[in-house]
Amino acid sequence: MDDSAARLRWLRVPALLTVVGLVVAACGTSAPTTSNLAKDQTLRVNINTEPNSLDPGQEQYSYEADAGASISEALLKIKPDLSDVVGATASSWNISSDGLTWTFHIRSNAKWNDGKPVTGADFVYAWQRVLDPRLAAPYADPFFDGTIAGAADYGNLDPTKDAAKIPDFIKGLGLSAPDASTFVVKLQAPAPYFKWIASLWMSAPVRKDVVDKFGSDKWATSPDSLITNGQFKVSEMVSKDHLTLVPNTFYWGGAPTLTKVIEYEIADDNQAYAKYLNGELDIDNVPLANTDLVKNDPVLSKQLKIVPQLTLFWMDFNTRKAPFNNPKARLAFSKAVDRDSMVKNVGRGRWSPAPFFIPKGMNGYRPDLGASQAFDPAAAKTMLTSAVGDPSKITIDFLIRNSTANKQLGEFLADQLQTNLGVKVNQVVIDSKTVTTRLRKHDYQLYVGGWGADYPDDQDWFDIWMTGSGNVFGGYSNPDYDALVKKADVEPDAKKRQDLYDQAQKILIDDAGGGFLYQRTYYQLVKPYLQGLTTTAEDFEVIGDWFWGKVSIAQH
Amino acid sequence: MAVAQGAPPRGALLSIKIPRGRGAGLGLYVVRRILWLVPVLFFVITITFVLMHLAPGSPWDKEGKQLSAAVVRNLNAKYGLSDPVLVQYGRYLVNVVHFDFGLSYQYEDQPVSSLILRSWPPTATIGLLAFLMIVIFGIGIGVIAALRQNTWVDYLVVGFSTIGASTPAFVVGIILIIIFSVTLYRVTGGNFSLPTGGFAFDQHLIMPVVTLSVLPIAFIARLTRASTLEVLRQDYVRTAWAKGLRERLVVTKHVLKNSLIPVVSALGPTFAVLITGSVIVESVFAIPGIGRAFVVAVSSRDYPMILATTILFSVIVALANLVVDLLYTVIDPRVRLG
Amino acid sequence: MAAAAVSLEQIDWENPEQIGLWQDAWLRFRRNPIAVGGLVFVILLALDALFAPLLVNFHVIADPLKQNPADSYAGPSLQHLLGTDYLGRDLLSRTMFGARISLTIGLTVQAIYLVVGGTIGLIAGYFGGRTDNLLMRFVDIWYAFPDLLFILVVVSVFQPSLFVIFGAIGLIGWVDLSRLIRGQVLSLKEKEFVEGARAAGSGPSKIILRHLLPNTLGPIIVSLTFGIPRAIFLEATLSYLGVGIPPPTPSWGIMISDGNQAIFAYPHQVLVPALALAVTMLSFSFIGDGLRDAIDPRMRR
Repeated sequence: MDDSAARLRWLRVPALLTVVGLVVAACGTSAPTTSNLAKDQTLRVNINTEPNSLDPGQEQYSYEADAGASISEALLKIKPDLSDVVGATASSWNISSDGLTWTFHIRSNAKWNDGKPVTGADFVYAWQRVLDPRLAAPYADPFFDGTIAGAADYGNLDPTKDAAKIPDFIKGLGLSAPDASTFVVKLQAPAPYFKWIASLWMSAPVRKDVVDKFGSDKWATSPDSLITNGQFKVSEMVSKDHLTLVPNTFYWGGAPTLTKVIEYEIADDNQAYAKYLNGELDIDNVPLANTDLVKNDPVLSKQLKIVPQLTLFWMDFNTRKAPFNNPKARLAFSKAVDRDSMVKNVGRGRWSPAPFFIPKGMNGYRPDLGASQAFDPAAAKTMLTSAVGDPSKITIDFLIRNSTANKQLGEFLADQLQTNLGVKVNQVVIDSKTVTTRLRKHDYQLYVGGWGADYPDDQDWFDIWMTGSGNVFGGYSNPDYDALVKKADVEPDAKKRQDLYDQAQKILIDDAGGGFLYQRTYYQLVKPYLQGLTTTAEDFEVIGDWFWGKVSIAQH
Repeated sequence: MAVAQGAPPRGALLSIKIPRGRGAGLGLYVVRRILWLVPVLFFVITITFVLMHLAPGSPWDKEGKQLSAAVVRNLNAKYGLSDPVLVQYGRYLVNVVHFDFGLSYQYEDQPVSSLILRSWPPTATIGLLAFLMIVIFGIGIGVIAALRQNTWVDYLVVGFSTIGASTPAFVVGIILIIIFSVTLYRVTGGNFSLPTGGFAFDQHLIMPVVTLSVLPIAFIARLTRASTLEVLRQDYVRTAWAKGLRERLVVTKHVLKNSLIPVVSALGPTFAVLITGSVIVESVFAIPGIGRAFVVAVSSRDYPMILATTILFSVIVALANLVVDLLYTVIDPRVRLG
Repeated sequence: MAAAAVSLEQIDWENPEQIGLWQDAWLRFRRNPIAVGGLVFVILLALDALFAPLLVNFHVIADPLKQNPADSYAGPSLQHLLGTDYLGRDLLSRTMFGARISLTIGLTVQAIYLVVGGTIGLIAGYFGGRTDNLLMRFVDIWYAFPDLLFILVVVSVFQPSLFVIFGAIGLIGWVDLSRLIRGQVLSLKEKEFVEGARAAGSGPSKIILRHLLPNTLGPIIVSLTFGIPRAIFLEATLSYLGVGIPPPTPSWGIMISDGNQAIFAYPHQVLVPALALAVTMLSFSFIGDGLRDAIDPRMRR
C-alpha cells in the first residue's frame, strides 16, 4: 500500500528493453517443469481491498483489475514486455486502409465458463452496455466515447432526461457482428492506439442472457452467475476476506498449472506481512518500514523481487493561485526538494529520483531534461525571492491524503520547503474522498499527484498536461506545449514524433507544470517455490498478476 | 469505559415510568421501551443523514484517474443523488420503514442489507465470545482478588487489569500476532502457531477475542473487586466471615449478589465498547466483519451503508441496555422499574 | 485538572462542615501511596506539557519537529536518548511534546462533559417531572449512538483538527456523566438541608449551585479522573483509523499508530509512546481509585 497518490493501472510502454531485462533477471522466469511440481497448486496473494465489482463495465481500481484480468479476457492482451499486444479472444484482426474500420476475428474455440461459445454479438452487447449512460460505466469516457463512431455524444446524454434518446444513440454506435466469429468496430478517426483499448478491462465480452436473467446489477455479485471468458473463473467470494479463482475448464488456451488462486483482501500491512512470514501468503508487498529489515535478512533478502513501475509522482501546483501562477515560483519550489534524500530516507531506497516527467522504461525517458528542476536550495530561494518577494510571507496549503505513506512524504516535503525556502507550509491531512473533491474544485495550493499511462504511448502521458485536462488538477496551460503535443500525437514518423514530445517535455519541466519527484518501484517478497512468475511494468496489486496462467508451484 | 464510577446511577438508568405491580407491569415496560426505539432511531437516522450530507467528499471522487463529469452525472442519477436532499431524506425514511436500506454506492449495486447480513456473523461471534469472557473472567478474577485481598493473587489481578486497560487494542493485537503467530511459527519450525488473521470457527477466534476482551475484562475485574471489597466491609458480613467455613459459603453467595449490582450496570455499556473494539480488532486481524465494513463505508462515503450500520448498532446498544435494566430487577429486588 | 478545579470553586468554603469533608478526603488520599504516586506523575506530566517548549529553547531537549532524514529510525544514543523516528526526529522530545496534546484532549473533553452533562443532569434531577422526562429522552438519543461511530463520522465530515476532535469526543461522551449527576441530585434533593434551603427562600439556581453541585462533586471528580485517560485513548484510536491530529504536531496517538506500522523492524517506535500512554492511563486510574476511596462517604464512617 505504499505511495498510493495514484492508483492508475494501465501503463503500457513500447519496447522496454531495460525493464524487460530487469524483470527477467529478477524473476528468473524458469519454464515450469512437471517433475518438481507440488501436489497443491494453490497460489495465495493479497490484493488489499475487496473489489467493488467484477463486472468488466464497472471495474475501475487496480484491486479489481487484478482478478478481472484473470477472469475476463478482452479481444487482445498485452505482451509481458509491453512491446505490443497479441490476440486473446480474437485470434487476429485487421484494420481498413483508412484506419477507420477494425475487424476482429474471434477464436472458434473461445468459450465462456459455462461452455457456450464467445460470439461477436457478445462483444457488441458488452460495448453497447458500457456506452449506455444508465450503466454509468467509469471508463466509457474517454476510451470508448473518444474513439468509437457515434459515441462522441455520450457526454451530452442525461440518463434520466434524455432516456428516450438513448436507444437510438446505442443503435447508432459503430459496433456490429456480421457473423458469430466477427466483431467490427468503426472509429471516429484513425487511432493506431486502439489496439490497446481493445485490451482494456471494459473491452471484455459480457453475456446478454446472463445479464437479463440475473439483472445488470446482480450478475457479477455471485460466482454462480458470474459467467466470464477468461482463463480462470471465480469460484468463491467471501466479502472483505478473499476471492477464489479456479481454472475455466472451457478456456480456449488450455488449463493453467495452478488449480486455485486465493486473493486475500487484507488492508493491514503488518497482518499481510505476518501472513507471508508464516507461509500463509506466497507473494506480499514489503511494508515501507520493513524495507531495511528485509534487505538485511539472509533469507528474506533472497525472496525480494524489485519491479520498476511506470508510475511517476510530482508536486501538483495549483497554477490558478499565487504564488504558483508564477512559473519561476513553481520552479523554485521544485528546486528546493532534495530528491536523493527523499528517495533514500522516506522511500527507504525503493524509488528512483525523477526531476523529469516521462519515467524510465518509456520512449520519452530523458533524464537530462530534468536539469532545470534539480535540487539547488540556494538558487531556489533566490529564484523565489526575485519572483514573488519575501518567502517568509508565503503560506502554502498542502493537501495530503490520510494514508501513512502519503503523510510521511508530506511531512518530509513540507519540511524541505520550510527549511530551504523559508515559506510556511500548512499540512492539510484529510480523507481521500475530500482531497479529490477539493482538487476537482481547485480548492488547494499544493498536492502530490501522479500518473500511470493507460496505454503505451507517449500521447497518453503528454495529453494530461494539455489545457483543460481533467487529470492534472493544477490547471497548467501553455499554448506552445499544447501545439507541440497536438502535432506529435498525429505525427506518423516515429523520430519526428519523439523530437516533438521531447520539446514539449522540456517546456513542461522548465515551466514547472509539476515539481517532478520520483518513479515508483514494486518491492514484493516471493516465495522461492513459485515458478514462471511473469511480471510487467504495469502489474496491478501483485507482481505477476497479468499472467497467473504461467505460474506453477514447485515442491517445497 | 464511559461507565459511571462510584455509586451506580441506578435510578438514572430506569427512567421510564411504569405502573407498579410486577408481572403485567414488566411486560408493559418492555413493550414501551421497545416502542421508544422508534423515535430514538428516527433521530439517529436524521442526525446521521444530516452529518453525511455535510461531508465534503463525494462518493464518486476517487484517487487516480478521474471520472468524467458525464460519468459522475450518470452515477448521481442512478443513485438518486441528484434529487434535493429533503426528497432523498423522505425517500430513505419511507424505505427504512419497509426494511429497505438501499443499494451500496461502493459495491456496485449490492443491497446494503445483504452486505450487512454477510458481515454480521464474524462480528457477532467474536463479540459474544468476548462478552462471555468478560463476564466469566472479569467477574471471576475480580471476586478472587477481593477475597484474597493483599495477597500475590490480588496483586497479579490488579497488575494485569491495569496493564490491560492501558494499551490500545491495535497494539495489543499486533503484539499477540508477533508472539503467538510469527515467533511461535519460527520457533516450532512451522509446526505450531496461531493463524495470523482471518475468520473461521476455530483457533482463528483466539487472538481477536482476547484482544477485544482484554480491556473490558480489566475494567470489570477492577469494578468487581472494588464492589466486593465494599460489601465485605459490612459488619454483618465480617461477623459471619469470622464464624467459619459454613457461614462463609452462605455469605459468599450473598456477597456476590450484592457486589454484582454495580457490575451489571457496567455490562450494558460494555456492549458499546465491544462494538467500538470490533472496528479495531477487525482491521488488525483482517476479519470480514461489520466494524471494518463501517470504517470502509465512512471513508468511501457509502451513505446507505453508514446509515444502516449506525441503525443496527443503535438497536443493539438500546436492547443491551434494556436487558441490563431487566437484570437489575432480578439481582436487586429493591429496584423497581419506575 | 482544570475541569475539577473550576468545580471546586463552587464549594462553600464558609461552611466548616464541608471544609472538614474535603480535608478529610485529602488526608485519606495522602495515605494511599499508589494514588499519590499517580498524582505526582500527573503533576510532572503537566509541568512537562507546560514547559516543554522552554526546554527546547534552552537546548535541554531536541526540537521535536527538527528532521534529520539521514538519521531515521535510529536506536537510542547519547544524542537521542530514545532514538529517532522515520524522519530522524527525536523520540524523547516528541513524546514529551505529545503530553501536551494528550493532556489537552483529556482535560478539554472532560470540561465539555462537565458543562453539557452537568447542566443537563442537574436540571433534570432538580426539576424532575416533565423537564426530567424530556431531557432524559434527549439523553437516550445520544446514548444510542455508538461513540466511535459518531466520532468517525463527525471527524470525516468536519475534517480532523484539534478543535473538531475535541468537539466530536466531547459531544458524544457526556451522557454518562449527566445520568450520574441526575441520579445523585435525585437522591440529594429530598435531604433535609435542601429542604431547609428551599424553606429559607433560596431559588433553584442558588440551591443547585450552592447545595446540590458541591455534594455531587465526589462522584463527578472520580468520573472525570477516569474519563481523562479514556479521551486520550480515543485520540490514539482515531489516529490508527487515519483521522487523528494532523501533522506536524506530535501526539501520542499519531506516534503510536505510526510506530505500529514499523513494529516488525523498529519496535521502539511504538514502545516509547505506548509506554508513555500506559503510565499516564495508570496514573489517572490510580488517582481515580484513590479519590473514590477517599471521598466515598461509606468509608468515612
